[in-house]
Amino acid sequence: MAQCVQSVHEFIQDSFVPMVAVLCSEDAEKVTRKNNLNFSELLRPFCRLTSEGHMRDPNNQVQVVKNLRISVNNVVTRPSVPASGTPSLAQRLLLSEVVSTCQPAEGGVANVITAGDYDLNISATTPWFEAYRETFLQSMPAADHEFLNHYLACLLVVSSSEAVPVEKFLKLSQEQHRIQHSGEYTNPKWFIPNTLKYYVLLHDMSQGDEHRADSVYEDMKQRYGAQGCYLLKVNSRTAAAGADEQIPDPWSQYLHKSSLQNGSLVNSLDSTHPLQLDTSGDTPGSLDALRAVAVETKAGTAAAAAASHGACLTLNDHDRIRQFIQEFTFRGLLPHIEKNIRQLNDQLVSRKGLSRSLFSATKKWFGGGKVPEKSIAELKNTSGLLYPPEAPELQIRKMADLCFLVQHYELAYSCYHTAKKDFLSDQAMLYAAGALEMAAVSAFLQGGAPRPYPAHYMDTAIQTYRDVCKNMHLAERCALLSAEILKSQAKFSDAATLLIKMTSEVSGDCDLRSALLLEQAAHCFINMRNPMVRKFAFHMILAGHRFSKAGQKRHALRCYCQAMQVYKGKGWSLAEDHINFTIGRQSFTLRQPENAVSAFRHILTNESQQASSQQAAFLREYLYVYKNVTGVCDVALPQLPLPYINSSATRVYFGHERRLAEGEKQAATHVSLDQEFDRDLAAMWRDLEEQVVASANRGVVPATFQATQCCLNSQTDNLRFPLAVVEEPIIVEVVFRNPLKVPLVLSDVSLLWKFTLKDFSRPQDAAVGDALAFSNEKETLARLKLLPHQTGQLNILGLVYNLASTPSTGGTTVSSSAALKSDGPSPADGTSVRGRQDLEIQGPRLNQTKEEKTSVSHGPDRRLDPTITPPMPLLEVFFLQFPTALLCGEIRKAYVEFCNVSGVPLCGLRVVSTHPDFFTFGSSSLATPLTPLSPTSFENCSAYKTLATPPGATPGSVAAVTLVSAGDFGLGEGGSGTSNGVAEIPLEDRVLKPGQSTQLPLWLRGPDHEGVHEINFLFYYESAVKGGKISHRVLRHTVFICASRSLCVRATACRSNTLPEEEAEEEDERRNGSMLVFVDVENINTNEAGVREFHIAQVSSSSKQWRLHRCINPAEDKDCKLNSRERGKLCFRATRCKPVQGTIMTSIEKYIFADLSLGNEQIISSTTPCADFFFRRCPPSDSRRPPVAVETQGRLSRSQGAGPGGGAEDLTSLVRKCNEVDLDIIVLWKAFVVEDNKQVILEGQLHVALQTIGKEACSLTQKEEAQEMVLLKFKPELPPPMTRPSMEQLSHLIKTNLHYPESYRHPFIHKSLCLVPVTLTLSNCSLAQVDVIIDLRHKTTSPESLEVHGSFTWLGQTQYKLQLRAQEVMRVPLRACFLHAGVYNLGTPRVFAKLADQGAMCETSQQTATPALIIIINDT
Amino acid sequence: MAVCIAVIAKENYPLYIRSVPTQNELKFHYTVHTSLDVVEEKISAVGKAMADQRELYLGLLYPTEDYKVYGYVTNSKVKFVIVVDSSNTSLRDNEIRSMFRKLHNSFTDVMCNPFYNPGDTIQSKAFDGMVSAMMVQAS
Repeated sequence: MAQCVQSVHEFIQDSFVPMVAVLCSEDAEKVTRKNNLNFSELLRPFCRLTSEGHMRDPNNQVQVVKNLRISVNNVVTRPSVPASGTPSLAQRLLLSEVVSTCQPAEGGVANVITAGDYDLNISATTPWFEAYRETFLQSMPAADHEFLNHYLACLLVVSSSEAVPVEKFLKLSQEQHRIQHSGEYTNPKWFIPNTLKYYVLLHDMSQGDEHRADSVYEDMKQRYGAQGCYLLKVNSRTAAAGADEQIPDPWSQYLHKSSLQNGSLVNSLDSTHPLQLDTSGDTPGSLDALRAVAVETKAGTAAAAAASHGACLTLNDHDRIRQFIQEFTFRGLLPHIEKNIRQLNDQLVSRKGLSRSLFSATKKWFGGGKVPEKSIAELKNTSGLLYPPEAPELQIRKMADLCFLVQHYELAYSCYHTAKKDFLSDQAMLYAAGALEMAAVSAFLQGGAPRPYPAHYMDTAIQTYRDVCKNMHLAERCALLSAEILKSQAKFSDAATLLIKMTSEVSGDCDLRSALLLEQAAHCFINMRNPMVRKFAFHMILAGHRFSKAGQKRHALRCYCQAMQVYKGKGWSLAEDHINFTIGRQSFTLRQPENAVSAFRHILTNESQQASSQQAAFLREYLYVYKNVTGVCDVALPQLPLPYINSSATRVYFGHERRLAEGEKQAATHVSLDQEFDRDLAAMWRDLEEQVVASANRGVVPATFQATQCCLNSQTDNLRFPLAVVEEPIIVEVVFRNPLKVPLVLSDVSLLWKFTLKDFSRPQDAAVGDALAFSNEKETLARLKLLPHQTGQLNILGLVYNLASTPSTGGTTVSSSAALKSDGPSPADGTSVRGRQDLEIQGPRLNQTKEEKTSVSHGPDRRLDPTITPPMPLLEVFFLQFPTALLCGEIRKAYVEFCNVSGVPLCGLRVVSTHPDFFTFGSSSLATPLTPLSPTSFENCSAYKTLATPPGATPGSVAAVTLVSAGDFGLGEGGSGTSNGVAEIPLEDRVLKPGQSTQLPLWLRGPDHEGVHEINFLFYYESAVKGGKISHRVLRHTVFICASRSLCVRATACRSNTLPEEEAEEEDERRNGSMLVFVDVENINTNEAGVREFHIAQVSSSSKQWRLHRCINPAEDKDCKLNSRERGKLCFRATRCKPVQGTIMTSIEKYIFADLSLGNEQIISSTTPCADFFFRRCPPSDSRRPPVAVETQGRLSRSQGAGPGGGAEDLTSLVRKCNEVDLDIIVLWKAFVVEDNKQVILEGQLHVALQTIGKEACSLTQKEEAQEMVLLKFKPELPPPMTRPSMEQLSHLIKTNLHYPESYRHPFIHKSLCLVPVTLTLSNCSLAQVDVIIDLRHKTTSPESLEVHGSFTWLGQTQYKLQLRAQEVMRVPLRACFLHAGVYNLGTPRVFAKLADQGAMCETSQQTATPALIIIINDT
Repeated sequence: MAVCIAVIAKENYPLYIRSVPTQNELKFHYTVHTSLDVVEEKISAVGKAMADQRELYLGLLYPTEDYKVYGYVTNSKVKFVIVVDSSNTSLRDNEIRSMFRKLHNSFTDVMCNPFYNPGDTIQSKAFDGMVSAMMVQAS
């Protein structure tokens, strides 16, 4: 139970006060009417006595009466309330009115109660309950079984202006007597037969003659005694005079309530007979009438309240009234009571002796048969048992009541106790219950507490009232008293149980009482020593429910709100939703739509566990309420809770949406919102951009470089304000998520933004695009476009949209939602409301400094705050005839169109690609007239530049030779030029004017490996007008090329041991030697149906030193056709060319291109595109060497410094060099392909780089072993052992060659010794000086020499020591001597060589030449 | 048998709550929630020193007009609440006890699941089945 303003003693005392009736003459009434009051009202504020009174009890003990209050009422002769158990309708209306007018003060002080982990804000007091209780107790009808609210005395009031006041007094006195004794009226009830009559002469000071009044008073004193009459002088102030005087108005607080009470009571009496009320109370007609009346009274009351009370009374008059009451009580009332107590006591005492015992005795004897007859069934009727008013059993009760009223509780208790016994023995249950109740109360009120409070008395009383007597009214009174007493004794649990018991029955008419009692019970729970928070909350909800049933919406809302504090955020979502829903409902009906909206919003935003039909109902309610709110105030669009916006997933795209294909044209893919963000790809693009920016800035990446980001999302770097270009749209993609199970409809979605002007002052106007999204339980995207027309700073703030639900379809949904809508207005289906939601993006969590690591702080995210910059050029790139599938190495010509769609000229167009070997724009410097410029005339034309071979010439006979420098193909900047794939695009005048477009041819070459290749292009361009905020722009393009296998070319180079035979060969050429090149071509195409055959059209070579000389295939093999899975072999002789270093271009080495055409036309391989692809594909051999080896060697040389092996690197390279060839073979082929029943000739080229003699090179480089698992190594790797040139390598230093006649005829008969001259040619392959030892001695152990039958001997010097300079050729003349005819192997000379300056090294045996057989024929 | 079975976390939020589908679910939520007050009262009634030997079964928490509410608290302060129809007189204290024991065992199994995150709502099928078995018997 909540705290009360009154203490429990005050409360109980005030509940039972002496009642005084008032009978007023009309003139006296007129006098008081001047003050807008009647007589009883006039007295009411002064009814509490401030001074102590004294009286003597029957034992002559002085009893102090403290703080007594009396109740003065006009005599109303008709019963206000029927004495039945249930409260009348009028009373109910009154009570409900009282409760609803008493509301918690706005912003009143609330207690904060902490219980466990709950902090509850609860209003400590419940004034509405106290008001209810007070009104309830006051409106208790007078009952027959108790006398507490029977009138003890009657004030007879007569005005002094009356002609004959004494007569009037007589008349009034007679009337009082008539009322009490005639038996005409059951109401009011009188305490004692001889009621105290107190004569009051009311004198109006402003009107009447004071002397006359005094004389009349004197007369009265004579007649009634000084103790029985009083002269009350009032109205000493004239209305006019007192205008400026401020007089306190003590009536206002009393009259408000009392007038209400009287008014409604009187009116209810006027309308119908009260006995009929209960029976006809439910008919709507009378209800309406009553209601109308109640409204009327209210209006009347309000009007009356408006007029001030006591306008004619001065403070003196107030004192006089107070004096009068005091006089009346102490002189009149108390003595009267004292006298009566004494009388009753005497009666009882006298009876106690005989009659009391006699009574019981007679009862035993005569009425003995009566008791057993009263079976339990009959017991219930005993409530109807009525003692006659003067029955002796009632006398003791009467005395007890009197004692109680004058606060003599001890005596009262003993009397009640006695009475109780009597009544119980008589089975007069109603009387007994009354006695029990009062016995308990008086026991409680006894000071000093000689006996404990008998709580069981109360329980019995309540039970009896309720169950036996069926008098809920009394039961309720009893419960209220008992609960208050229990509360004061801190027995909250008992109090709560008691209160809840009173509410347990579910009868429709006692909702208000139940609600109030439940609320008090809830307060009991929270006030317990261990506060029971949850019980509190639950009972609050029950109370709220009953309040709402009783129509007390405000109280209901309050209860729910208090209960909410307990349920909020504790995981009891079902209950929480229910409370929120109810709060929303109640708030809405109470016209607090903001609260309603927030409550509903809570239901919807919490991840709801409700069924979908329930959710749909919630949503509809919410929308309806929301609509009403927005209808009222449309100042700012309110925030909508639904759907959720996943703001971190918001993506922002700068630029136009692209059309990917436009007829034949295929636009650059660039970036689009449909692409997923890929971190690796983003890094790749960033690298590409860095490369191209570096190349645009002469190899240096500027410090301010920022990769262009066209599409911002949560993973991109959003620390800077993104740059957007004026007149180019900004597309914002917002991700919505619908947490509900019901669909939501969004419409008219648009962006909210703020724009700050900068630099320019053109009229600002930005169009907002809109989109329609429909989401259902999952994520949905909406893309919104914004087109800036002006430069400045743009901030995108949020979204504005209409939210609606779809009309529900299922019948069950409708019914369930209808069930919920008990009282609320049902919103129309599909209501839509307009609201906004802000887009707030939290940046990434900072994790750099220690402070950031320990705290949770987030960086900024400026995705939605683009800076609008002045116009920039905008490039569109279209591709024409761009293939999707190619054979490996296939050359295809396509066209690319560059189009400047902006109003600003662009320049500095460059392209960078992940696969620079895939395409070429041709070499601009060669100024070759390009093949047909327009793609239409291109059909069936070779991509290559060709020359028809002279008809007479044999194919493949002699190679045409061209010298070309690599610089001509845009790759001039040393080796590094090719490694970054940046190519400048040869625009005509380097500038693309606004609106201009240009087409350029583009050659493509199929990748060398089969499979699908992703090829990325990045086009870079700048504005011709410098100084903008954006330094450059880029355009991305990604193509996927499917490459299928074509040919596999393997090539081997062999040292040719034969010296050139032809005399025409130049000396130096001969000296440089020649090489055999074997080219193995295999058709590995798997598409047998499509590709019919391959022709090897031409084999070209490209090298700095070597060139293909001629084809040495057998003649019939020259036309090389390869069907599926066929393999062909081509042999070529290659020769070393003149060194070209000596020419003018010293720094740039020239490449020699040699073309050996096998068909009837020569393809000029040294021009675009063949050479382009050659250079793009094939970086100079130096850089192609495994970089690891170079590195390790470098490290070694560094670490070993000038150690003994310091020259090892030198040595190795020297040795290696002599085996190097550095010759690139380009195989140009034609494929005959059937496509759509048409034969198409495809062309292509494959490259093979020969590096080392004897080592096979292949066009298909072996795929690198995918390093799936790399062992983690924690120790540094041991440096590989120092590499010395291997024996193998060293054995290739010197090339030996024997020259001798193939057969030699010798007449052995004539001359037994045959001498044959043999020339041994030694050529130094290396670039160093080499010491050579030639040993001619036979080695018998050599297995080769054994094979040969017979033997021969070298003549002359058997060992030569020679020194050969670099690449020197030396001939050593030898002579061999044979003894017999036969076949001999001359290849026995062993040659040892070592590098001249490596003293420590041994000579290495050089590779022996193949067996050199000579036939010696006996010439007979 | 039971009309509502609930598992409440130490912090007094529901881990699992299930009621006979035909009845008003909301009412059971309120009932179970309110019963927590009594559970707390009963726990705190046992002295601190005795807390270790405390019996897990709390007995009848409180009777309402239609239902009887029984409580059980594990040593880790997880509460089990079983609501039984008042009209069902066949249920003795022993049966309720065994129901709680079964519930506790099953709950332990759930907790032993390495993929169960303590504090999450229970979504175990096994647990669900066991609970339904206890509820089904009533019908």
